[in-house]
Amino acid sequence: MNNNVDIIKIEVPFKAQYVGIVRLTGSGVFNRAGFDIEDIEDAKVAISEVCNKIINTGSNSASCFTVEFKINENRLDVVFSCSDSQLQNVFAKQNDELGFSIISALMDEVDYGSSCNAIVTMSKWMEGKV
Amino acid sequence: MSAEIYFKEEKMDHSYKIHIIGEVDIYTSNQLKEKLYSIVEQNQCDLNIDCKELRYIDSTGLGIFVGALKKVKENGKEIKISNLKENIRRLFQITGLEKLFTIEE
Repeated sequence: MNNNVDIIKIEVPFKAQYVGIVRLTGSGVFNRAGFDIEDIEDAKVAISEVCNKIINTGSNSASCFTVEFKINENRLDVVFSCSDSQLQNVFAKQNDELGFSIISALMDEVDYGSSCNAIVTMSKWMEGKV
Repeated sequence: MSAEIYFKEEKMDHSYKIHIIGEVDIYTSNQLKEKLYSIVEQNQCDLNIDCKELRYIDSTGLGIFVGALKKVKENGKEIKISNLKENIRRLFQITGLEKLFTIEE
């Protein structure tokens, strides 16, 4: 275990009514990590955009997807994953241009489907906030 | 589960004003869609959307705004959006939607 990384993890059913809870959790984590209100609002939208895509796609085999908030020394990673491997390519076609442009503009780094089980990994740098 | 979006409506002389209160996301967006589309269909006039108490919106809500704009334009009318919070205004800029709507302070 990397002692420099704190991880908060939630499992979310594929239901629209729970996206607000992911947003609320995300805002709490980003606030605790020391981000300002503008960064927190950006993260909330980016997090919701990913959740929207995952929920709209759904899964025949998995009952939920996972959102992990990884607080590193100089950045905060938000990792979306699911046991259903079909979802790892949910952003492959990049046909949701509005959602894509929003996520890319609001987060410092976005990585689609490259890690094990990860659908999206997005990050915001802390820039001396810690 | 309780709704997190509310509306207040005002019929003006030559336009219709709707105040959106709360959050527009994947869960509440259908309520916004039904409300906006019915207003546009029943009142063929300019539409003012007051966002002073709009706390959150993402692409689901923005898409509904665009859909409403298309309907309004079919009648030769327009949509004005007012009192956007700074972070939401930035969303309109990022997506290029500020060029489609009349944005007022």
